[in-house]
Amino acid sequence: MFGALLVAGIVHGLIIGLAAMAVTLVFGIARFPNAAAGDTMTAGAYAGFLAHRATGSLALAGGAAVVAAGAVSLLGYLLVFRPLARRPVASLLVAAIGVAFLIRAVLGLMFGHQQQVFQVPLAWPIEVMGLRIPPMDITLAAVAGVSLAAAFGVLYLTSIGRQMRAVADDPDLARVSGIRPVRVMVALWLLAGAAAGIAGLMLGVKTVVSPEMGWEGLLSAFAAAILGGIGSPVGAVLAGLLLGVAQEVSTPYVGFTYKIALAFAVMLAVLLLRPRGLLGRVEEVR
Amino acid sequence: MTTTRRTVLAATSGLLAMPNVVRAQGETFRIGALNPVTGAGSPYGSGMQRMIGAAVEAINAAGGVNGRRIEVFSEDTQTNPQAAVLAAKKLIEVNRVRAILGTWSSGVSLAVIPLVNEAEIILMNTSGAPALSVPPANAKGLSYRFQATNDRFGRAFAEIAVREGFRRPATMAFNNASGLGNTEGFRRAWAAKGNQNGEHVVYEPNQPSYRAELLRVLATRPDVIVMGSFLPDTTIILREWFQTGTPMKWIIPGWAANPQLVQALGPAVTQGIIAVESVSNEGAPAFAEFDAAHRRAMGNQPGTANAYAAMTWDMAHTLALAIEQAKSFETAAINAAIRQVANPPGEAVATFAAGKAAIAAGRKINFEGASSVLDFDQHGDVTPDFGVFFIEQGQINRRYVVKI
Repeated sequence: MFGALLVAGIVHGLIIGLAAMAVTLVFGIARFPNAAAGDTMTAGAYAGFLAHRATGSLALAGGAAVVAAGAVSLLGYLLVFRPLARRPVASLLVAAIGVAFLIRAVLGLMFGHQQQVFQVPLAWPIEVMGLRIPPMDITLAAVAGVSLAAAFGVLYLTSIGRQMRAVADDPDLARVSGIRPVRVMVALWLLAGAAAGIAGLMLGVKTVVSPEMGWEGLLSAFAAAILGGIGSPVGAVLAGLLLGVAQEVSTPYVGFTYKIALAFAVMLAVLLLRPRGLLGRVEEVR
Repeated sequence: MTTTRRTVLAATSGLLAMPNVVRAQGETFRIGALNPVTGAGSPYGSGMQRMIGAAVEAINAAGGVNGRRIEVFSEDTQTNPQAAVLAAKKLIEVNRVRAILGTWSSGVSLAVIPLVNEAEIILMNTSGAPALSVPPANAKGLSYRFQATNDRFGRAFAEIAVREGFRRPATMAFNNASGLGNTEGFRRAWAAKGNQNGEHVVYEPNQPSYRAELLRVLATRPDVIVMGSFLPDTTIILREWFQTGTPMKWIIPGWAANPQLVQALGPAVTQGIIAVESVSNEGAPAFAEFDAAHRRAMGNQPGTANAYAAMTWDMAHTLALAIEQAKSFETAAINAAIRQVANPPGEAVATFAAGKAAIAAGRKINFEGASSVLDFDQHGDVTPDFGVFFIEQGQINRRYVVKI
């Protein structure tokens, strides 16, 4: 049973990790908590659902989720967050909550509030070294793995990724070094949207698609972003995995009704012992 | 004399200052139809609302109540407690309704009931939560439930488990009043029959996975899992269960094991699921009346398609008969008359016109409704019959009816 829960926890954790990455990237570079990340996930899930219903291909669904969530994310930046840049964090947070409401309302109007379900083939588990793993979990883990590899590839192997990290490090120094902030911001919002879109797609395939799904999952994404160390994409993914595994593996012993509470207990414990999070850095306040 | 705004104002305020009796000429008895037209209850809500309208039409055609016509104000709960509270406030404060009919889902009814108590008006609901029966929710005894309580659903589940020969039932409950009510009702009834209860798991909503919960239950090798659940969580749990490859049966309330569940999961996963839903009082004359009205209003759909619409049809009838019986428009008098017109003994009546005539002749009546025989206990609860449906090749087929 432990092994099966570990597998479930890893898949659960990858979803949280991807969503947390979307949150932490924005926090690191645009410097505000993006409350619209959850609903960007939902937009990705609906786009993936439509593509999957039309074609039956999970790969195309992933592509549609990335494109749609990236577009929603970028639109949010161009129409709302860019005009509000350099305002206090609280204004941006409230604006992000507004964007979240807007996305949810539009999805509700377009698709209704009843649940939609991905018609994926259900298969009996396959045995891997005595562990019974549902094939869909392997597929989803692979999707997440590829997406994470692509995201980290962009961040660490490309010029725009280097520029993003430079802006995250020190925006003013980045500007005097000749980095054009708008290009970096566009890349950031596209990347964050794409990560959220894949997270939404995975959540949608595992559960059911409804307009509220992303908003309801936002809290654990924030928890993982804080736990991983604000602004650290690697930390966010690790923290997501930690939370997912901790929830699945421990709740049979502490009680299932504490599932949500447990994630926050883990977060509290880590923050008390290591306030900067897993991979965060201590920032000097000037 | 030229009509100025000032004279109009003077005339209207003069009108308002007239004693109540004078204005009562065209006055109506106002009720609110507060139903789940959108949201999770949307498959039932518009039918529920239209049947209130149809019943009121029949009542007004028979001369209204105590000489007044009933007037209906309709609102949508969106199957959402917050929206329902706003709508109820509007009905009470703006429309000044004297009763609210047809709230669906326990969360909605529990949210609306404090407003109803505050305004001292009657609430007729179709929700299952046991908390609706007792104080503080029903401290004033103004709330009547036309659906079976979750506890009664649990008792029906236990009857079915015995009849189907299950030996080792486990239970899983969504962590709210309705889910827990179902499974606790089952466990009590099952133990009362001298049986041993199996594993019991309470789970949280909106989880990406319920595998840990499922594995805990499956580890005890149950032959059936009895659910207190809703559609989204049931969808996720059944899909995960199917992928474990463990053969087993399910007993699930009808609001979760419905055509949408079959559509979401397909015939293979849902094969053999036992769905339990309260059924209307189908042999009764009142049901025939309701069925005809339902077919007229809902594009020839039979009345059996919507058990909740039969409940709202009965709500309007019960309220109207109680007003006739009370010979008053005061809440306290009407409230005292509801059990007089609905419970035995008395002359069984199926329509408002027949009941009105009998009351006028001084006879005690017993309204036998379309949804159930409609005998309210001390908590304002009724005991309908339960239909037992088997999902076979993607079809939901009724096999038999259970009485508790």
